[in-house]
Amino acid sequence: MRRLALVVLLGAALAATTVPVWGQAGTLRMAITQNEGALNPYTYVTGYPGWNLMTLVYEPLFTPDADNIPRPWLVRRFTTSADGKTWSFTLHPNLKWHDGRPFTADDIKFTYEYVRRNTHARWTPQVRNIESIETAGPTALTIKLSAASSGFLAQPLADLPILPRHLWESVAEPRRFNDVVGSGPYRVAEMREGQFYRLVANDTYFAGRPKVRELILPIIRDATVTFTALKAAEIDTTVRPLSPELVAEFEKAGGIKVVRGAGYASTLLQFNMEHAILRDLKLRQAIANAINTRLMVRLLLLGYGVVGSPGYVHPDSPFYNPEVTFTASKAKAVQLLNEAGYVDRDRDGIRDAPDGTPLRFTLLTLAGNPIRVRGADLIRTWLRDVGIDARVLVQEDASIIAQVWPDFDVCKGRKFDMAVFGWSAPVMNRTTNLRDLFHSDCRFGTINIGGYRNTVVDQLGVDLAATVDVAKQKRILFDMQKVIAADVPIHVLFYQDGIYAYRTDKHTAWVYQKGQGIVNKLSFVDPPKP
Amino acid sequence: MWRFFAGRGAQYLLVLGLTVTLNFALPRMMPGSPMVFLAGEDVGFLEPQQRAQLYALYGLDQPQWRQFLTYLGNLARGELGYSFQRGRPIAAMIGERLPYTLLLVGLALVLATLIGAALGALAAWRRGGSFDLGTLGVAMLFESVPSFWLGMILIAVFAAGLKWFPIFGAVTAGAALSGWALVVDRARHLALPLATLTLITIPGTYLIMRYSMLAVLGEQYIATARAKGLAERVVLRRHAVRNALLPVATVFMLNLGFIASGATVTETVFSYPGIGRLLYEAVLNRDYPVLQGTFFIITVSVIAANILADLAYPFIDPRVRRR
Repeated sequence: MRRLALVVLLGAALAATTVPVWGQAGTLRMAITQNEGALNPYTYVTGYPGWNLMTLVYEPLFTPDADNIPRPWLVRRFTTSADGKTWSFTLHPNLKWHDGRPFTADDIKFTYEYVRRNTHARWTPQVRNIESIETAGPTALTIKLSAASSGFLAQPLADLPILPRHLWESVAEPRRFNDVVGSGPYRVAEMREGQFYRLVANDTYFAGRPKVRELILPIIRDATVTFTALKAAEIDTTVRPLSPELVAEFEKAGGIKVVRGAGYASTLLQFNMEHAILRDLKLRQAIANAINTRLMVRLLLLGYGVVGSPGYVHPDSPFYNPEVTFTASKAKAVQLLNEAGYVDRDRDGIRDAPDGTPLRFTLLTLAGNPIRVRGADLIRTWLRDVGIDARVLVQEDASIIAQVWPDFDVCKGRKFDMAVFGWSAPVMNRTTNLRDLFHSDCRFGTINIGGYRNTVVDQLGVDLAATVDVAKQKRILFDMQKVIAADVPIHVLFYQDGIYAYRTDKHTAWVYQKGQGIVNKLSFVDPPKP
Repeated sequence: MWRFFAGRGAQYLLVLGLTVTLNFALPRMMPGSPMVFLAGEDVGFLEPQQRAQLYALYGLDQPQWRQFLTYLGNLARGELGYSFQRGRPIAAMIGERLPYTLLLVGLALVLATLIGAALGALAAWRRGGSFDLGTLGVAMLFESVPSFWLGMILIAVFAAGLKWFPIFGAVTAGAALSGWALVVDRARHLALPLATLTLITIPGTYLIMRYSMLAVLGEQYIATARAKGLAERVVLRRHAVRNALLPVATVFMLNLGFIASGATVTETVFSYPGIGRLLYEAVLNRDYPVLQGTFFIITVSVIAANILADLAYPFIDPRVRRR
């Protein structure tokens, strides 16, 4: 009898608590995929969404708008000298830190000098060009560069978040500092490592009240569980892009809206340009022709993607050169191989180089990314059809990096044949991206993991980095794309569209930032009035 | 008596020494370096001297043997160090996660052992009957399903479908609960991962118990007990089950040590913040200190469980008592 009573009591207790405790108006539950440290500039983890969320708390001087163009934010007015070396800023008055202290030009000067002293992979290289910083009062600041730099506006001005001097000036080990006092539209109210973050709106934010009262960011590790939770309304949205196979179902679901836009993250076939056989241009051109990227987009992305452009730049980017196009043709692949002397001499079904070496390569692919693994499989099949043997090796991140980009240092060389690789969206936005990707000097071509060498591209890259005029930048980038498309150091397969789903009963004023998605500052707060 | 402990003690110290060395060496033998996880995703843009600076900061520029000595020195002081990726003291990180793991995996182990043993005993008792064949079939089923699949099914039916339980997490994110409400919240979040883990652990115990029971039931003393005229239930409980429990107890104690290693797959599916997931991510991130610290905790835990088993066994099985 007592046992029965206990069971009934437990059952009643459970039933009473099935009503969710949160869910009042103004609270948005946005699931993230992994821990983001203390959400401050030295401990946040991922570029996306880590940087996007961290900059809701700590702010850079400028903010990229929906077209990725940096717009003044903390800065009210700014001027640049004719030679591009001197930048002068006037801040908005009455900016405040979350603890009430005033935000001044001193904090900016402090931050820029702090990240130079305390190495951070993202911030330190961005300020390397700065010669001096001078403040003239709490709202006036002048930065002098040692040379004009095309990327300065984007990085660091629209990238490096400002730290409060009064809290950070005595910090010698920034990575162990978990303070979260920032100046942004949101404050970190609660942080449970590995479980969730709770951000609340900063009601005295200078640009106006943020659009959502409270942001709860639970960490959900599994993709399927994330979307199950979205469907079941246990979360309102997620930073995770919607998988192609779920799009139809979610578009039909009630209470959920699906937004789709250009995705700037690229998936490409990376060649080792120092490989004895793969350094032959005709062979690379043949391989590129054998891969049916149109079919890849249909099969792997269910059509939600854009075929890769041979000059790397996404067709939606303002710097895309429309004259640089590529159409794959299996016939052309066979023709090129025959012309270059790759014939099956020993009748084993695999073509051999003129010196007898068979065309057998390994194709590295990242585990845990089913689209890339399947893509590698398709590439293997198509290459087999034209007589090239590409063995697919699926490995985890660190093992692949050890072969393709040892220690993330291009100067350390490489040891691989081909790899299905990819770069994240911000690379597409970086003005100097084609230099970073293709310059032969490993100090400038910091992501030239194939070891590509071309003196024309090198010179164009150097010019690009020093050009501040946007029209001139465009011309240089157009030229670079032409050369790269002809040389085929990489073969871009596709750009996956950004597809994001959110529940419509909570927050709908999402702004899609081109190439990147809906998790950005503009979705939560309107730009300040000048 | 002391000679026993001295002998065993020396053995355990040797095991500890070997595992401590392996804990240090194995992560460093994996290809790849912790670089991106020290520096972040844009590490490609760092200059050589900045990279060197980062490496020096973490002591990674030292020769291996010196890093090993530093590691040993820290360990002797009880200092587990700081995570490369998170910059937080590892003791704190493990301390946050261990209670969740102990709760989930420990409770699952206890429940699975109790339920499995009970079912196994009954099945053997009614060997060949419908109960026996039924439970055997179900046990085989749960033995073969992958844990993540089972977890997903439970989520789909009980969480997303019937909405009896939440889909993810250990607590309701962002809710400020206290007292009874907090206990219930945690219990609701624990229910499905616990069910998943228990269901896949029961078959092991069930099968061991069942076969052990069958062996025991064939023994002479069972026939004697029956011949003495004892009731069936008494024979079952006092004579058969007690003796058949020995292998189950052994397995239980062995598994006790491994609770500290968590249940990575279940923790991932349910986003339950346990040690298993911490360990898995540390491997991917080449976070050497976290790997070393966690492996050490697991090693100590397993050794402790072994010592416990060594001490407890003479009480469970009188035949093992030394003269």
